[in-house]
Amino acid sequence: MEILEHFHLSVLVPIKIFGIDISITNLTLYMFIAAVVFLALFILLALNPKTAPGKRQVVIELLLNFIKRNMIYNMIGKKEGKRWIPLIAGIFVFVLANNLIGLIPGAYTPTANPVVPATLAVIVFLIVQITNLVKHGIKGLVRTLAPASVPAWMYVIVVPIEGISLIAKPFSLFIRLMANMLAGHTVIFVFYGLILYFKSYFLAIPIVPFALIMNLFELFVSAIQAYIFAVLAAMYIGEAVKPKH
Amino acid sequence: MEPETGALLAAGFAMGLGAIGPGIGIGNLVGKALEGIARQPEAAGQIQTVMFIGIAFAEAIALYALVVAFLLIFVV
Repeated sequence: MEILEHFHLSVLVPIKIFGIDISITNLTLYMFIAAVVFLALFILLALNPKTAPGKRQVVIELLLNFIKRNMIYNMIGKKEGKRWIPLIAGIFVFVLANNLIGLIPGAYTPTANPVVPATLAVIVFLIVQITNLVKHGIKGLVRTLAPASVPAWMYVIVVPIEGISLIAKPFSLFIRLMANMLAGHTVIFVFYGLILYFKSYFLAIPIVPFALIMNLFELFVSAIQAYIFAVLAAMYIGEAVKPKH
Repeated sequence: MEPETGALLAAGFAMGLGAIGPGIGIGNLVGKALEGIARQPEAAGQIQTVMFIGIAFAEAIALYALVVAFLLIFVV
C-alpha cells in the first residue's frame, strides 16, 4: 500500500523562521520551476509588441483572447469584465503550469497535494464574498442566502440549501482539481507497480504503451481542469457582480 | 473481520457504485451535444465548450467517490 508514497513531501532545504516551518520541499521547488518556466516563456513570446503581430505575438494574443471571450465576457459581462481579466488569467495560467509540470518523469505535481488547490479555492471564495459585500453591502450577503424571488414561507427550506451550496462550491473546486491530478498520476504509478509486483520484465512490453497513453490523457486532463477552475471562478464572480433586486 | 478488511471491501463498493451515475450522466451529455452539433454545425464550438464544462461537473461526482475510496484504504 505504498502507492501514495510518491506524493509524500521530502524536505530539501530546512528553513525555520520564528518557529514557523517554511522549508523548501520538493513541492515548492517544482512550483518555482513551473512559475519560472512559464514566466520566461510568456516574456519571450510578448517581447516586442507591434500593432501588426508577428508569429510569436499571435500565440499570446490567442491565449488572452480565449480567456477574454470564452471565460470572462460570457460569465461576467463586457463592462464589468475588463477589470477581472488579470485575476482569471493568472488563475488559469498558474493552475495550468502546476498541472503540466507533473508530467515530467520524476517531478512532483504541486496541484496533487491538497494544500495548493485548497489555497486557491479559499482565495476564490474570499474574493466572491468580498466582492458581494463591496458591491451590494450587507443586503447582498443576505440576498445570497435568501433570494428575493422566493415566497417567505419557503425560506425554511431554501436557506439551508443555499447555505450548503455556499460552502459546497469552493469545496467542489478544490476536490475536483486535487482528485483529478491525484487520480491521473496514481493510475500511472499503479501500471508501473504491476511490473514490480509480478517481478517480470516481460510484462513491461504491454504496460509501457498503456502508461504512455495514460500520460497523454493526463496532458488533456491538465488543460481541461485548468480551464474548468478558471471558468467556474469567473462564473462565481459573475454571480456576485450581477445586480440583485 | 478486522476493520482493515471491511475498509477495503467498502472502498471497492464506494468506487464501483459511485461510478454508475457519472457514467450515465456523461454519456447522456455527450449524446445530446452530438445531436446539437448535428442539427447546427455552426454552433459546434460553443456546444463543445459547454459540453466540457458539463463533463467536468459530472466527473467531479465520480471523483468524490474516489476520494472516499482512498480515505477508506489509506486512513482506516
